[in-house]
Amino acid sequence: MKLDGYAPRPVADLLDQAEQARHALGEGFRDRIVESIYKDATAIASRSVEQGERRKFDLDLLVDKVVLSPIFGLPLMIVLLGLIFWATIVGANYPSQMLADGLFWVEAQGSTLFDALGAPWWLTGFLWHGVYRALAWVIAVMLPPMMIFFPCFTILEDLGYLPRVAFNLDWLFKKAGGHGKQALTMSMGFGCNAAGIIACRVIDSPRERLIAILTNNFVPCNGRYPTLILIAVLFVATGFSPTIASAVAAGTVLTIVILGVITTLIASAILSRTVLKGEASAFTLELPSYRRPNIPRIIYTSLIDRTFFVLMRAITTAIPAGAIIWLLANISANGVPLATHVSNFLDPFAYMFGLDGVIILAYIIAIPANEIVVPTMIMVYLSQGAMTEEISPESLRTLLVDQHGWTMLTAINLMLFSLLHNPCATTIITMWKETRSLRWTTLGALGPLVIAFAVCFLVAQAARLLGWA
Amino acid sequence: MATLTNQNQGYPSPPWWRVFAWLWHWSSQRHRRAVEDLLKHVHACERRGQAASAESAAGAIGWSPRRAVKIIASVEAHGYIRSTPRGLELTDEGTQLAINVIRAHRLWERYLADEAGMPLTKVHAEANRREHDREGGRVDRLDAALGYPQSDPHGDPIPTADGRLAEFAGTPLMTWQIGQPARITHIEDEPASVFDQIAAVGLLPGQIITVKGSTPEGLRVAFDGRKSVLAPVIAANIFVQAIPQDAPVPAPVRSLGSLQQGGEAVILGLDQSLRGFHRRRLLDLGLTPGTPIRAERISMFRDPKAYRVRGSLIALRREQADKVLIEDGTTQTTVDAEATP
Repeated sequence: MKLDGYAPRPVADLLDQAEQARHALGEGFRDRIVESIYKDATAIASRSVEQGERRKFDLDLLVDKVVLSPIFGLPLMIVLLGLIFWATIVGANYPSQMLADGLFWVEAQGSTLFDALGAPWWLTGFLWHGVYRALAWVIAVMLPPMMIFFPCFTILEDLGYLPRVAFNLDWLFKKAGGHGKQALTMSMGFGCNAAGIIACRVIDSPRERLIAILTNNFVPCNGRYPTLILIAVLFVATGFSPTIASAVAAGTVLTIVILGVITTLIASAILSRTVLKGEASAFTLELPSYRRPNIPRIIYTSLIDRTFFVLMRAITTAIPAGAIIWLLANISANGVPLATHVSNFLDPFAYMFGLDGVIILAYIIAIPANEIVVPTMIMVYLSQGAMTEEISPESLRTLLVDQHGWTMLTAINLMLFSLLHNPCATTIITMWKETRSLRWTTLGALGPLVIAFAVCFLVAQAARLLGWA
Repeated sequence: MATLTNQNQGYPSPPWWRVFAWLWHWSSQRHRRAVEDLLKHVHACERRGQAASAESAAGAIGWSPRRAVKIIASVEAHGYIRSTPRGLELTDEGTQLAINVIRAHRLWERYLADEAGMPLTKVHAEANRREHDREGGRVDRLDAALGYPQSDPHGDPIPTADGRLAEFAGTPLMTWQIGQPARITHIEDEPASVFDQIAAVGLLPGQIITVKGSTPEGLRVAFDGRKSVLAPVIAANIFVQAIPQDAPVPAPVRSLGSLQQGGEAVILGLDQSLRGFHRRRLLDLGLTPGTPIRAERISMFRDPKAYRVRGSLIALRREQADKVLIEDGTTQTTVDAEATP
């Protein structure tokens, strides 16, 4: 094709001209591009989209008036969280009991069958009283609460409530030198800390993202709720009449969670004033309009993606843990089980922190997954003392208080330790993957442990000084 | 651009000759940095019309006079500078190299301030560290990624890729006419302590400033609806330019941050000092000039506010809302007028 009047020009000339034109553009040309895009879009929209009379009654506005209200916003958030805990405690109680009964019945049948077949005692013990029992415990303790907690949480997520939580809490995070979206990633941590740490990718400033990653561990994840709930039910709620006991237990867990949020803020503030110095950067967050929750999707994400995923992880770590516990409890040196040796060895150290050797041992065994802390503890205790077949709140209380000398201080420190201690192995690996830095991963893993021991030490010493324990 | 923050290029654990090679590399790098620092210093002196010497270089860069003399001798042997009775002068080759370094320095400053969100008081030192690594068209890529900016965050012109450096525009604020508003074109970034103080007062390139009067303690100035007294040692580092005749002298505009709950306004534009990533983010959310905006919700601690823009609800912190300039639009009164009869 040949155009008259257009002499073909060398490409280099054109490039030169383009180069000069670009310098003449000035700095605002990006602004002008966006402006013109928006202008065109608005023009098209006004031509082709018909806007009805503005409704007098706008549900979104009304809900936001309460949810984002300076007065009701924060209390509502706390109440909602408390309600979810309460529903979890109340709703999970009975199914947990049933599951435990059923699964332990299977254990009894299984071991009887093995005995009848003439299997050696150690095989029966290892498989049924070690591996299987740990499995049964984890399922019975974890599955019902998760099946209630996760759907409730997913509904809030699906509604579009979480960005509003970030909005309500932003000022606190700003004062702590963190990013506004840290409230969001922290909420994700309620489900699973590893997921919360991955969610930190939404934070675009590297400094603030690191802060969010390092402090995510301070909100209890789903693996730690069973511990908190069980202790709250056994120790705090028993002093109250049965009608309000579950509410008291929920209140206790809520208090621990709020303590976790406060710790998150303090730790963020310390980090942003020492090793991660810098100023809080920008925060722009769209608050999406509320959506009707999509029930099938909620069921899918909460049950398959979350419950099933977390449970499988717990099971895969419970099996080797069960084996280790059984071996520790049944291999004896000088006529005393190894587990007793270890816990006796740890006892004086643990006493300083208001804990006992078995708790520390349980936390060491539970490094791969926090879910198995309580099962481990109980199994070690059971292997030391009288075997109770029936596992009910009353029998557990008897076991812990009467046989192993737990006090209120032990219970409180166990909850504090559970809240603050080192993240589980999956979370540590996720930290490494996200930061690619050995230094930050080490800080993220050991920092919380130091804080947990420090807080437990202070509480234990203060309680003993004041004569409470 | 996130890759620029996490560079972990350690040398793999080496046999002994690797260690030696590394030491060799390190010492030659160190020498190159010294050469480039010197060229930058001589270039800066030339532009200010001052003479550069071994003493001035030692003072400005922080070398011992002995080291300064040693480096000058080596640089002179390379043919980058020559000693004249007036002092040190750059050769054409030396000028070219100095401009390359300055280009890298100012582009890095732009990047650090706009994209990485580093405070303005810290970008100069960090750019000083990064300016020496210019291998493999890195600087050109940076230039392109930033959209070919024309000045650094302090208002200094950025040289073009072919080595042209725009003339320095601006008059010292000290000599500016009292009462006449002017635009800040440039704030000297060295010495750092003086720049830190200027930044602490809140002055930035692009701002409109008016000198209200001169006293022995310094200049009384007004900017952004604020008043301040600048000591002469500080004011001397600020350069201004007349506001072009055709540009309307901006009336004191309000910022979005001052909008009360329920208040409505129209966006005039985004503040000059908001740049890079955060500017693009606000534009992408639809905060373009002419857009109506409404302060809808204030959070419990009064800080982030949620604004209704183009039908969606967007939360902004106070610092950002302050960068959005508005003029009063349709206010509450029209709604009230409808409601009263």
